[in-house]
Amino acid sequence: MIEFLRFALVAAVFAPLLGVLVIGLMVLLGDDRPTESRVAQVTGAGLAVSIIASLAVMAGHLGLIGVPLAGDVEFGAWLRVGDFVVPAVLLVDGVSVSISLFAASLTALIARFSRTYLHKEAGFVRFFTLLGIFATGTQLVALAGTLEIFFAGWELIGISSAFFIGFFHERAEPVRSSIRAFATYRFSDAGLLIATVATLQLLDTARFSALESAGGLPPLQSTAIALLFLLSAMGKSAQLPFSGWLPRAMEGPTPSSALFYGAVSIHAGLFLLLRVWPLLEVSLVARTFGVIVGLGTALYATAVVRVHTDAKGTLAHATLAQVGLILAEICFGWVTFALIHLICHAFLRLGQYLKAPNTIHDSHRLGHAEHAPSALERWSPRTASRLYAASIHRLRLDDRIDAAIAPMLALAGWLDRLDRRWRKAASLDTGAIEATAIKQLRS
Amino acid sequence: MSASHADALPADPVDRALARARGVLPDQGPIGVFIHHNTLHAFQHLPFHAGVQAGAAALGARPYLTLPQFRAALASGRILDADVRLEIARSLGAQADEPLLPGLSRAGLWHALMVSDSDTDDAAGLAFSIASGTAVECRDLPLWQACLARAAAGPGLTLPDTRQFPRHRDVLLALGAGDTDVAVHGELIRLGSGFLDQGQAHAVVPGREHGFLAAATQLYANGASAPRDCRGAEADMRQAAQNATPAGAIIRSTLAALGIKGDAIEPWLFAATLALPGWAGMFSRLERNPADNIGGPPVALEEFLAVRLLLERRAIERACAELGLAGSIAGDWTQLRAAVPPLPPRPAVLDAALLWRLAHEAGVAGEHIASLPDEALAALWRECAACTDLARREVFQNAYERSYREIILDAVAARQGLPGDAQAERPRAQFVFCMDEREESIRRALEEQHPGYITFGMAGFFGVAIDYMGLYDKEPAAHCPVVVTPAHEVHEQPVFTALKRSRLTTSLRNAWLSGERRARAASRTLAGGAGISLLLGPVSVVKTLLRVVAPRLSLKLGEQVAASVAPRPATRLSTIRIADQAVINDSGKPLGFSLAESIDRVCTVLNNIGMVRDFAPIIVFLGHGSTSLNNPHESAHDCGACGGRRGGANARLFADMANRPDVREGVRQRGISIPADTWFVGALHDTADDSVRYYDLEALPPGSAARFEEAYAALERARRENARERSRRYENAPLDVSPEQALRHVEGRSAHLAQPRPEYGHCTNSVAIVGRRRLTRGLHLDRRAFLISYDPTIDPENAIIERILAAVGPVGAGINLEYYFSYVDNETFGCGTKLPHNVTGLIGIMNGHQSDLRTGLPLQMVELHEPMRLLMLVDATPEALLAVAGRQPEVAELVVNQWVQLVSVHPETGAMAVFDNGGFVPYAPRPTLLPVVEKSPEWHMRTRAHVTPALVRAALPGSAVGPGHFGEPAMVDAGAL
Repeated sequence: MIEFLRFALVAAVFAPLLGVLVIGLMVLLGDDRPTESRVAQVTGAGLAVSIIASLAVMAGHLGLIGVPLAGDVEFGAWLRVGDFVVPAVLLVDGVSVSISLFAASLTALIARFSRTYLHKEAGFVRFFTLLGIFATGTQLVALAGTLEIFFAGWELIGISSAFFIGFFHERAEPVRSSIRAFATYRFSDAGLLIATVATLQLLDTARFSALESAGGLPPLQSTAIALLFLLSAMGKSAQLPFSGWLPRAMEGPTPSSALFYGAVSIHAGLFLLLRVWPLLEVSLVARTFGVIVGLGTALYATAVVRVHTDAKGTLAHATLAQVGLILAEICFGWVTFALIHLICHAFLRLGQYLKAPNTIHDSHRLGHAEHAPSALERWSPRTASRLYAASIHRLRLDDRIDAAIAPMLALAGWLDRLDRRWRKAASLDTGAIEATAIKQLRS
Repeated sequence: MSASHADALPADPVDRALARARGVLPDQGPIGVFIHHNTLHAFQHLPFHAGVQAGAAALGARPYLTLPQFRAALASGRILDADVRLEIARSLGAQADEPLLPGLSRAGLWHALMVSDSDTDDAAGLAFSIASGTAVECRDLPLWQACLARAAAGPGLTLPDTRQFPRHRDVLLALGAGDTDVAVHGELIRLGSGFLDQGQAHAVVPGREHGFLAAATQLYANGASAPRDCRGAEADMRQAAQNATPAGAIIRSTLAALGIKGDAIEPWLFAATLALPGWAGMFSRLERNPADNIGGPPVALEEFLAVRLLLERRAIERACAELGLAGSIAGDWTQLRAAVPPLPPRPAVLDAALLWRLAHEAGVAGEHIASLPDEALAALWRECAACTDLARREVFQNAYERSYREIILDAVAARQGLPGDAQAERPRAQFVFCMDEREESIRRALEEQHPGYITFGMAGFFGVAIDYMGLYDKEPAAHCPVVVTPAHEVHEQPVFTALKRSRLTTSLRNAWLSGERRARAASRTLAGGAGISLLLGPVSVVKTLLRVVAPRLSLKLGEQVAASVAPRPATRLSTIRIADQAVINDSGKPLGFSLAESIDRVCTVLNNIGMVRDFAPIIVFLGHGSTSLNNPHESAHDCGACGGRRGGANARLFADMANRPDVREGVRQRGISIPADTWFVGALHDTADDSVRYYDLEALPPGSAARFEEAYAALERARRENARERSRRYENAPLDVSPEQALRHVEGRSAHLAQPRPEYGHCTNSVAIVGRRRLTRGLHLDRRAFLISYDPTIDPENAIIERILAAVGPVGAGINLEYYFSYVDNETFGCGTKLPHNVTGLIGIMNGHQSDLRTGLPLQMVELHEPMRLLMLVDATPEALLAVAGRQPEVAELVVNQWVQLVSVHPETGAMAVFDNGGFVPYAPRPTLLPVVEKSPEWHMRTRAHVTPALVRAALPGSAVGPGHFGEPAMVDAGAL
């Protein structure tokens, strides 16, 4: 029986990716582009297997099939470099199986929706390929037994997210937004990577099951690692000051926005914190920091919701407010409540995102908001005006980040010019690089 | 718009630029009520080709299909090569036959350049394919050598530099700077959407009641920060707020600061106004149509432009600084403009390749090329330069239209050769639909069932222009063409016996809706979001799942639950007001029509459609509307003749009037006797789910019940057939779908949250036929023809046709041209793919998180269209049509400038004449044998492509089809582009 459950675990994770590989082979080996129905069937089959396997694992965990399955499930070594071994371990517990089932079901629901929504769209195959990659990414994150495997899934989610934002790459704005999201991910993922290495160094293992012993670490070390995890979660879940990419992520097709920024991906950072909770629990500094960031983001997003005029941007910030709140709940230590809040919230937003284009229809049916001056506006118009400007400009977060990295970019530019000059001096480069027109105009 | 006529423009360059821009900017109002109009309406005073080219140039758009698209149409047979040659000859006139090379006339040169890509500008690709031996030139190397040598010796082909650098931004981009519009537009979109919001945001820009400029600058005066790339603008804004500088002064001082002087001002400012056309267009639209903006702030395009320039100036200065340009350059537009690097010269190898292809085409030998005199070569190149890309596409467009036009004219002529539809028996039932081309198929499906089923078409507000307030509406809305202002209000009210119950159900309904609205708003707040997530999240996901997996059933289930909790009460319309006690309501309009007005409306409508004798016992008037979900363009599928709303109320109202004995008596006194046993029924046809909803059947006299049941059964069959005919266009419905399955398929589409194509709307519309049904009955027109009933035999003074053309011409042309433009350049004239659309401010849609307001039609609505000017056949003499045009300037403009193709079909002789270049030119139809099918599905259910006209025998009077038209129907695939 245990063999069956081990197989189910693997199937839950890799069935969607297998679907992607099959589609890839169809594209490579077939004469024509595979038909829409074939692509949707293959992806659907992968997701269906993932759901069934995930249900089986849940049944196994609850003891409905033989002995209850719980704890680390070993699959040997993932990577072996000399003495250094990265084990392939999946973790089965209440949290992992419920998140696994949750993510697989919502992804399948979106796949069903998108089959109709993306009919005749040029990027149909690309969309479903990315969906399959994302599904495997979420399963890896949900079921990972070690930080290394978690990181692999985390990156798959990140890369598919960036590609979905830039889905309509023939226009400039989606590409700009995609790069911004990707760069934010890269920056914050460094936190996860460093924390993983540090955990390995200090605990000799990066298993989640071993983090219980992290309480024994010196406070400085545990706090540093907890803060790094928090940094990573803040980037993925668009907490302040990384909130700027989230509204921009609305460039993709509606269903991917629903799945990523309404339901699953946006909550991934919170899930990371739930996984490393034993480490976070012991660090009062990190928890305080998390509460401040979470509540700050929640207030910020609530203020932005009030002024946003577009359906998807409003939803993005409404989602962000709850995500900030859940972050604060986690850091307060209300872990179970936070998990329930997270899942219920994802359920609610998924439907709201999918119905975002229905806004006009709804306003005909329900009527719309009347603009009455708020109490603040009556009391201090000037403060209200400043609050409005700060909200509609979203605190100019993107500009501030751009300004912060400007010196780095300037350094890169200087090095680039140096490089060119050196190559020219060494006559490695004969072509004229600078546009002559600019040279003439230079003072 | 007269504003775009050169003589009416103001003298001041700033005002002139604004006035010109107003004419070109999209004129689409808030998207909740979508009204089709000619996208380039402002250019209608020019001939079609001149107008579309000027309009497209102003907006940076494509006026026609691309050459590859036209060539594909030529290859598929959609355009006939003979028609291309004919149109070239027509365009070149007398000079067409002048020889340019031995064996190559001017027309031959044009043809060669049009049908193949001879004058490629891809030098690298050409060099590579020649080097690798795959180029066509390698087939005749001696000729190639000769051409290469001759082309290198000169003179060369010089093509004009068509690059456009209207603003600093374009020059700076060419010089390698970043796009200054990114920061400027980002800020404008945020402020503009917050300013114009009609109810989506909780809070709008503070102080917006003082106008855009005051509100925006005041934000900065209160401490807002400018975007990083526009730094410095905050100080300018603050200053403008403190001094309350008017918009005009800001525009002028910014122009001065950027060194834009004299003649440069107008084009620069024009381009700046058009840089963000959707938003600027909305400002311009709301400024001129305050009725679209009730309760909103005062809107002025000039203020929008002023804020734009405040931001843009600093963005330009910053970009110049980044490029290392001296400060003086940033302040001198002429100098900066001159800094654009010139086009690199055209390599001789391209000329050689063109020469080779032309010589090859003409069969000229290498020696001749080598000895070609300079003058002859120069003349050849001059002609090549004259045959521009646009000129070729203009000719192609004419050929594209001609090929289709002649198919239709020949088919109508062939149909006329058959006996008419005179019949001795009384009609069994009559059905009056909207003129909409989407109703062509359901009319055919009715007529195929019995020769006694007669159908009519007319503008779907059925002659009753009203402000209508339905039972659950909050305010009345105009149900009539946009050019008409209703003089009457009509309300739907519960019947007396349902009043008490209705109060209860209405309050229940209101409580539910306000609860839903509050829950929705609360879910976006901090605490409310948490509470609603925990309470309703799991419920919501189940609902979403059901809506996605079983859209049709879950929607029906929901409706049933709602109907059992709060059933809709029986209602009546406030149709008639007792003449001597006029009830005037708050709006100052009388509630309901007086007896005399009712008689008037009924007589007019019956005369318009020629229904003055032979009344059937049941006459159904069907308005139409469309239901779809998740579709910001839902209203675009509703009835254009009802101002983008549903025509059900109008049909119901008309039937109610026509059933009243006192109205009938008045109508009889005017010479139209409606038999006592005739009953009118109003109904609403939903063009998305193909449902038909009937009104006031409670009032149906028992004596008419059996007759009505027959008509009802006929419509039940017809709507299923209609669903089937529509289904053939949807790739996810099988071609062998049964009528019943097809009905379920279209119901599913209408109910599906994920369906970007609930219906295809007016897509493929191309013909309008005004006349007696005998011209077209039994002719399969593939849902592409607006059909307007008109009987010339009762219109000796041309009064009726004048009325009809004045209404139908602009409406039909507006729909047709909107589809034309949205198809030929879907990204500029249309709004692109629906998938990333994002509703903003309840006024329009953006792409993704912030973009220009997208106007026009989405890709999913137009993807099957064939962009052609409306082919308008009228059952009237050329003299009658010219007389009407003489009295109706708007019709005259469309016809004379050829924005529609007008064809006169002589009511007595059937002779056809096409309007061209100021007069009617007789058209001699080619003798045509039309394919004959028993019922139309045999014809259209074989393919998903467009189908050419065929005769449907079941819809023709008994002996109509002679042996001439028999035979195996030949499938002519018109070829979808």
